[in-house]
Amino acid sequence: MKVDQENRIVYRWSLALAGLTFPLIWLGGLVTTHDAGMAVPDWPGTYGYNLFLYPLSTWLFGPFDLLVEHGHRLLASVVGLMAIILCFIAWRCESRGWVQRLCWLLLLAVISQGLLGGIRVLLDERVVALIHGVGGPLVFSLACWIVMVNSRDWKVANSNLNVSGLRWITRALFLISICQLVLGAHLRHALPTWQPTLFVSFVHTHLLLALMITLCIFLSAILVFFRPYRAHRELRLPAMLLVGIVIAQVALGLGTWITNYALPWPELNAFFANYTIAGRGFWESMIINGHQATGSLLIVFSLWLLCRIERRCVASRFANISIQNEVTEVIAGNRTNPVLAGPGVS
Amino acid sequence: MTATKSFTISTAEAYTLIVVLAFLLAGCSKPVFSPNRLATAAFLQSHEAPSIEEISISANNLTNQLFGTPDAPLWPESLDQVVDFDGVKRSAGPVGRAHDRVERGLYRKHCVQCHGITGDGAGPAAILLAPYARDFRRGTFKFKSTPIGSKPTKADLIHTIEHGIAGTSMPAFAPLRNRDEFAKDIEAVTEYVIYLSIRGEVERRLIRSATGDESQLTIQDALKEAAIVVDTWKQADQKVQAVPSIPTLDRDSLAASVARGKELFNSDKTACFKCHGTEGRGDGISQDYDEWTKDWTIRAGIDPASKSEWKVMKKFGALKPVVNRSRNLHLGAIRGGHSVETITKRIVLGIDGTPMPSAAIGEASPNSLKSEELADLVRFVASIANVKQTEEMTQGTSVAHHAGGRDES
Repeated sequence: MKVDQENRIVYRWSLALAGLTFPLIWLGGLVTTHDAGMAVPDWPGTYGYNLFLYPLSTWLFGPFDLLVEHGHRLLASVVGLMAIILCFIAWRCESRGWVQRLCWLLLLAVISQGLLGGIRVLLDERVVALIHGVGGPLVFSLACWIVMVNSRDWKVANSNLNVSGLRWITRALFLISICQLVLGAHLRHALPTWQPTLFVSFVHTHLLLALMITLCIFLSAILVFFRPYRAHRELRLPAMLLVGIVIAQVALGLGTWITNYALPWPELNAFFANYTIAGRGFWESMIINGHQATGSLLIVFSLWLLCRIERRCVASRFANISIQNEVTEVIAGNRTNPVLAGPGVS
Repeated sequence: MTATKSFTISTAEAYTLIVVLAFLLAGCSKPVFSPNRLATAAFLQSHEAPSIEEISISANNLTNQLFGTPDAPLWPESLDQVVDFDGVKRSAGPVGRAHDRVERGLYRKHCVQCHGITGDGAGPAAILLAPYARDFRRGTFKFKSTPIGSKPTKADLIHTIEHGIAGTSMPAFAPLRNRDEFAKDIEAVTEYVIYLSIRGEVERRLIRSATGDESQLTIQDALKEAAIVVDTWKQADQKVQAVPSIPTLDRDSLAASVARGKELFNSDKTACFKCHGTEGRGDGISQDYDEWTKDWTIRAGIDPASKSEWKVMKKFGALKPVVNRSRNLHLGAIRGGHSVETITKRIVLGIDGTPMPSAAIGEASPNSLKSEELADLVRFVASIANVKQTEEMTQGTSVAHHAGGRDES
């Protein structure tokens, strides 16, 4: 019981960390939206000050780009600190070696992100900003993965799914979402030296992948209600949430296009013809940022669905083998009291 | 039995690889002012001439000697200071603040995605825009208070940047005025746009003289051309043309004026109907192109409607020619400004670089529009474009085709 409580500490701390990573991504998105990456010319300090000692009044009431960039750095430092503590907690409380290693990997990823952010500032290079922009949602996904493997569902899941159609769809969904993230980062951080044809190819591929992601999500959402998946009601929540997220994401994507490059077919009607983009407008920024942040959510929710399926598929390396063995033993009459939610299940 | 050798990579190695890759990639994005190969090919009327590269690079180098680079702009001492160079320096270079906390790189922050580093209207997103982003290098600007062929005033450019252009990808940067630290960004960007335009036009003029002359271009040639271009910008304020004000009328007089305006609209005297259609829905017979497209197509002996012909210029950065469609006035989106005053300006001054001509105004010549006729025409256009003219019109009358109205002037 004590071990179980300790295990919940890993879960809760990683949940807090993941919860804080999402606003960090949002803030990072604001940095890109407002081109504030170089609002502070030095790193790791801020205008010669230690990061944590920069005057509060100058930060909060100074230029907007400085507010966003310095805030992003401060929040990133907190996330970094939490990742260090998570490693310590996992080392003390987590019995599964691979989960411990996952925590170390998260720490390494957070440090790498910090370094990439620093390199971006010191070299003043947008290419590094692009890589940093891709790294953010991946770190968020990693943090969420640690939450998922410490969740109750991971422990109690029954690995008795012998078919893997949905598993492959979800795997494809997760991989395409990552590709979509890379493409989206290319569109967000497009270099001024790029040829228009290159940018167009990115846009077209981004649209194609968006279509594939939408299809995968709707297919998954339908399949979870049919045999053999319908017995696993836990699959429904992530699948349904993904449907909501993808609808919001498509709408935000369209909004992002409109706020950046105007409505398509401006001659269609008077509203379209009279629409003027507000450069650096508040709502425009929120839409663009929302699209980027919802993209990260889409990756994480795909991973959530994937985790739940992988845990339930007999063929998966993440199958809940020990529980399955125990269940098999019970069925065979060798055991009478299987522990279905024991700690340290690997 | 041979041992199978597998390639593995440790976490540390992968990490090092990523960091090295980041550094390597970092060096490949240095922006430069690219040579105007399209203009060179167009002036030579050839897409295969070996001299295209030589001439365009020579002109580019000379222009760079005079005007510097995107990161370090220069202004020749011998030229009149028609731009506020502090604004140019603030807009140039990469985005960010130095230790003096002054924000720089405004052009790359706000404009470069569409207008490109060189101001050639070929930024990364250019193909996707309709209409295409403006190429500043020709020195031609559409919406201004000066006649066709003249440069715009700074106030004209500031107005366009601040208010944007409805129905196009040109945003209104007015929200920048809401914060003190960005309040003067629009003026600074305007200076940089003029700088890019002058630089690009000097380069074009050098190319044109090099294609008609065998002798080598020199820095003196560049300075001479620069002085000519700068002089045209200097004269802009003096060339501002006042347009007659259109008096407001009561309901019945307005109805009569609009009816006369419609007749004029469909007459051979104005020939508006040829492009805008008889009802002003932009469905006339004209299939014309703008001057930026004509430069490298029709004037270079290329049919812009024939893909096999124009695609030979793609390698020089040409974008697909698009027919300059006349405005459907009923949509209410008058790009030059949605007010009686700006409609008058567009009729009197025309829209430079497009098939929209300027109208001759005068009382003597039968071919010129008399003041009353101009007023009738403006009122007709304003009525179908839902532009507020009098109190009566806003209440919904049989005169205006649409009820309501607005005035953004």
